[in-house]
Amino acid sequence: MKKMLFVISNTPYANTHNAELLEAAMVGAVFDGIVSILFRDDGVYSLLPDQHGELIGQKTISKMLSALPTYEVERLFACADSITKRALTITSSPEVVALSLAEQTRLIAEQDVVIGAQL
Amino acid sequence: MKYTLAIHGAPYASQSAQHGLALAQALLAQEHTIERVFFFHEGVYQALSTRVVPQGEEDLLSKWQELGQHGVELAVCIAGGIKRGVISEEERQRYEKQSSSLAEHFTLVGLGQLISAINETDRYIEFPA
Repeated sequence: MKKMLFVISNTPYANTHNAELLEAAMVGAVFDGIVSILFRDDGVYSLLPDQHGELIGQKTISKMLSALPTYEVERLFACADSITKRALTITSSPEVVALSLAEQTRLIAEQDVVIGAQL
Repeated sequence: MKYTLAIHGAPYASQSAQHGLALAQALLAQEHTIERVFFFHEGVYQALSTRVVPQGEEDLLSKWQELGQHGVELAVCIAGGIKRGVISEEERQRYEKQSSSLAEHFTLVGLGQLISAINETDRYIEFPA
């Protein structure tokens, strides 16, 4: 089975890309893929607690994240630089491992495919 | 080699489709195989049958359909498609809409078809919005 990395780099509610990519990641895991997710750039805002998507008529991203372990998606990573630059404190559950740029390079190099590319 | 391509951008919003089509045509010219082109996010709008091409502009829809006629599967994410109004005749009936809007040679498929195409091919290449 292939190693798939889903990269989430948009703000959680500017469009529906994050929700759609998380759905794809869950399906990847259902199909026995070895799934990892990397949050970087504005994508790290997805990891903030107390989100209420219902107030703007959208799916709550943090709720989707908490469902990931049910799909056996447990390899969750975040770009340490992106978190620091935005002065965020991430206390999200499920647990997310912060990675340096060098570690992200290694994570990407290990994959068969990367989904959610940015220009 | 066998390829899966993914198109993430809407027509006129990015060059996702132009770049994807150019690669697809080059791959076929060199006798590679494209298992499936998967239209995801706003890329689902590429499959809208109701698009009218302004004079002097490239007819991207016909170019996708030509690929479809050459055996390339044009797969539109069903969840992403129907919520954006890209619906097949079957979905039109299911949701009791006035008209369908999915162009010929495209099919609505689940996300599982993206994952299985990735699993079955040598390369996955994505064209972001």
